[in-house]
Amino acid sequence: MRKFLVIAIPVVAIVAFILIMISDNWLKNSLGDGENIPDIISGVIEDINDEKWDETENGIRKLESSWDRVVNRVQFSVERDEINSFDSNLARLKGTVLARDKAGSLAEIYEALEHWKGMGR
Amino acid sequence: MSSIVIKKENPANTNVSIQNEVGKVNESLVVFVRAIISFFSLLIFARILGKEQISQLTFFDYVQGITIGSIAAELTTDLSSRAWPHWVGLAVWAALGLLMEVISMKWRYGAKVLEGEPTIVIMNGKIMEDALCKMQMRASDIIALLRCKGVFDINQVDFAILETNGQLSVLKKPIFQPVTPKDMNLTVSYDGISTELIYDGKVIEENLRQLNKDRAWLMKQLEIQGIHDVSEVFLVTLNPGGSLYVDKYADHINKVTDIGDYKGPY
Repeated sequence: MRKFLVIAIPVVAIVAFILIMISDNWLKNSLGDGENIPDIISGVIEDINDEKWDETENGIRKLESSWDRVVNRVQFSVERDEINSFDSNLARLKGTVLARDKAGSLAEIYEALEHWKGMGR
Repeated sequence: MSSIVIKKENPANTNVSIQNEVGKVNESLVVFVRAIISFFSLLIFARILGKEQISQLTFFDYVQGITIGSIAAELTTDLSSRAWPHWVGLAVWAALGLLMEVISMKWRYGAKVLEGEPTIVIMNGKIMEDALCKMQMRASDIIALLRCKGVFDINQVDFAILETNGQLSVLKKPIFQPVTPKDMNLTVSYDGISTELIYDGKVIEENLRQLNKDRAWLMKQLEIQGIHDVSEVFLVTLNPGGSLYVDKYADHINKVTDIGDYKGPY
């Protein structure tokens, strides 16, 4: 039994470590309602394109709340730079939407999408 | 003509919420989790890599140790990149280290290529200059290594071999070898390896059983030494010759020799 534990504990530990480290690709995807960030982003892109600024603001709020939930899960496995960049994009996006700047908003939301795709790669 | 209408609004009235973003990601918590991962990964890899001690390490083993340690440190605190690539680097270095060890064990020529081989630097009392030059060592380095081995007169040396771990093995000329009981035709009792019977006031029953002794025998031996309770004893060992070493907590030494230069505290 003791010999089994001496081998089993390190193996289980290594497997658990690997799972924590590579879990970002699964954990960043939707695990519940309204957590599908790519879907929300594409909705926001459509709203910006149609210049529906009130809907865009709602979309950003939804994006922020989803991101808050997702970031808690993925913080142990993804790079902090990507998290920071996504946060910055969201902050700038709020500003450009406030200024009703379609070009700036599109640039920010597409960059945010790119950072999202880059997470866990 | 299409135009983008920019509605001027007071930012205070906007629907876009301004939240306090600070603390969304807890850096300390992430570092804590990563530290646990790197610490235990390193521990497991070190145990797999073997039991070589620092003094037995070759130069490459030493460099490998430093590199693996450095990768583990980055895995812990470098939050700008993912933990996984660092861990892969750590695992690959450990795996390659293990591979080299296996090659060295199974393939004698491979071991010589990977780890080098011992070099004779003094032969029959003569310094091998060519060997020194090849090893990029000076005569003064060899003399210093000889001093570390307690040899202050190079005339005493018959052979000196520089091992792959950088240590110097010295064979003195027969005339300078210490006298052994065999030279004097003396009979000596066998000492063997001592076994701990009491450690830190606690009897180690497993060792007693291995030596076919029991607690009653041990207590009888302690009574002879004036000890009535196991808790009075710090360490008791027994060697195969049957002699018991007993150290009590109360040493009754009135004047302890102080080898320090300063009064302290340090």
